[in-house]
Amino acid sequence: MTLTYRRPMTSLRVAAAALALLLVTGAARSHAWADEEDDIQRQIDVQKSGVADLEHLDRQHAATSEIQRLRDWLGQAWDLRNKHEPDDAREVLERCVAQAELVRQVITAAQLKTQVADREAKLNATKSETEKKKKALLDAQVRKRALEQPGGAQ
Amino acid sequence: MRTPSRSVRWLAAPPALLMWLGACATPPKPTALVSYEDLKRDPNIEDTRRRFPDLVGASDQYGDRATKEWQSNNLEDSTKAALLAEIKLKTALARDAQEQAKARLQALTTEQAKADETLAMVDKDLTAMTEQVRLLDSNKKLSEQLATDQQRATAEREKLSAQLATEEKRAAAQLSLRTADTVDANKYDPADYGAATSMLAKADAEIKQGNWSAAQASLDVAKQRADHATEVSKPSYEQAEQAQQNRARDEALKRDATSLPGVTVRPEQKGELQRLIIAVQDLFTRNQTALAPGKDAALDPIAQLVNKYPSYPVQIVGHTDNRGKVGELIALSQARAQAVFSALVAKGVDAKRLMVSGQGPNEPVADNRTPAGRGKNSRVEIIFLYH
Repeated sequence: MTLTYRRPMTSLRVAAAALALLLVTGAARSHAWADEEDDIQRQIDVQKSGVADLEHLDRQHAATSEIQRLRDWLGQAWDLRNKHEPDDAREVLERCVAQAELVRQVITAAQLKTQVADREAKLNATKSETEKKKKALLDAQVRKRALEQPGGAQ
Repeated sequence: MRTPSRSVRWLAAPPALLMWLGACATPPKPTALVSYEDLKRDPNIEDTRRRFPDLVGASDQYGDRATKEWQSNNLEDSTKAALLAEIKLKTALARDAQEQAKARLQALTTEQAKADETLAMVDKDLTAMTEQVRLLDSNKKLSEQLATDQQRATAEREKLSAQLATEEKRAAAQLSLRTADTVDANKYDPADYGAATSMLAKADAEIKQGNWSAAQASLDVAKQRADHATEVSKPSYEQAEQAQQNRARDEALKRDATSLPGVTVRPEQKGELQRLIIAVQDLFTRNQTALAPGKDAALDPIAQLVNKYPSYPVQIVGHTDNRGKVGELIALSQARAQAVFSALVAKGVDAKRLMVSGQGPNEPVADNRTPAGRGKNSRVEIIFLYH
């Protein structure tokens, strides 16, 4: 083991070193903050573009209020990001993701319900047509029997 | 230092108690938590929980957290948790609605297939039945058309038959009328003839109107009246016709007689009786009863004339002049008439048509004092008798 000699620091040197450390630490922290805000911004942008797609999909306007709520929360997340409150912003963003999923499910359910309604309408139409034709068939049978009588029918 | 009195302590106690109770009281529920709890009371939640336990479980966890945070008076965290709980529960409900819709769609697909099949069967039956009805209807219409055609044909036949019968009756009536014309019915029975003519005209008008039965009745009457007119007129007409024929024949007889050589012809009327007298002279020599030689041939034209007009009765009358006794002269004239009679019979004249007589000198045609007059008086007359 080798012992080296260290010249004792002066108070000035200690103060300079502390200041330098403080500057380096502050710069590093500032850099990390900037990266997180960029990430939040990117996520907000992605969510906003997703909202436009969802609005386009919502032809039945089944999720209008939920989409508006999503928009409000995205605005809220954007405000928090600008206030440099990334944790709160991420919390709101997490809710936005869940809300977007809810909107998708509501839209899909509405589309399926529309399909059901269409199919039911088609089925009812088919049944109605069947009933009409059954009645026409009965009428035709009556007319046939009448025509088969010796005197015939008018 | 004096301690506060008991009354002052009692006065300070209620506000302190209120402040303590206020510090310990639970704050009002956040709106998000109320909304979540309302949603959770949906009767379908338990079914949804069975189908989507993860989502509903997560919602429950957030809900519990929201309640705890609220009870801890941490309203902001309670709201955040309640919002997430509501979102998860709504998502679960939406997924459940999708599943139910998918199941309904599947059921509808099956139901639609059955309905389509039923419709196809009914449609097929209806098409077949409609075709049968159409054929029956068509047959019926054809039958009706046939019956109508037959009726029309029968009516046409009857019309033609009536028309034909009418035409026949018209022809018969016309024939009767023409027959009536042949006996001058318009002259001898103008009433019947006129009635027949007017009935024929009436029938023609009825024929133009197509009133065949009336026309036939009119034609029957026309024929009846025309026939009656013919029947009534025929005797008169025949009589008149006969008279006319007789007159013509008489005229012809006169012409033929006038053209005979060596005779004198003169007509004479006695009452209704007409006589054409052909006087032949110089057939006999004086006081002789036999024809003079060569005179027989002079009677040939007479005989031909008598035979040419066989319907006339003929008198052969002998005449003499007045030289002699009347009785003898009458006998002589009779004998001479008989001689002419015999000669004519010998020449082919029917004896039954001939009447012989002698007038002697009783009917002279000339003066007996002259030879020429006596020659004219001594004669034999061939007399054609007619009305």
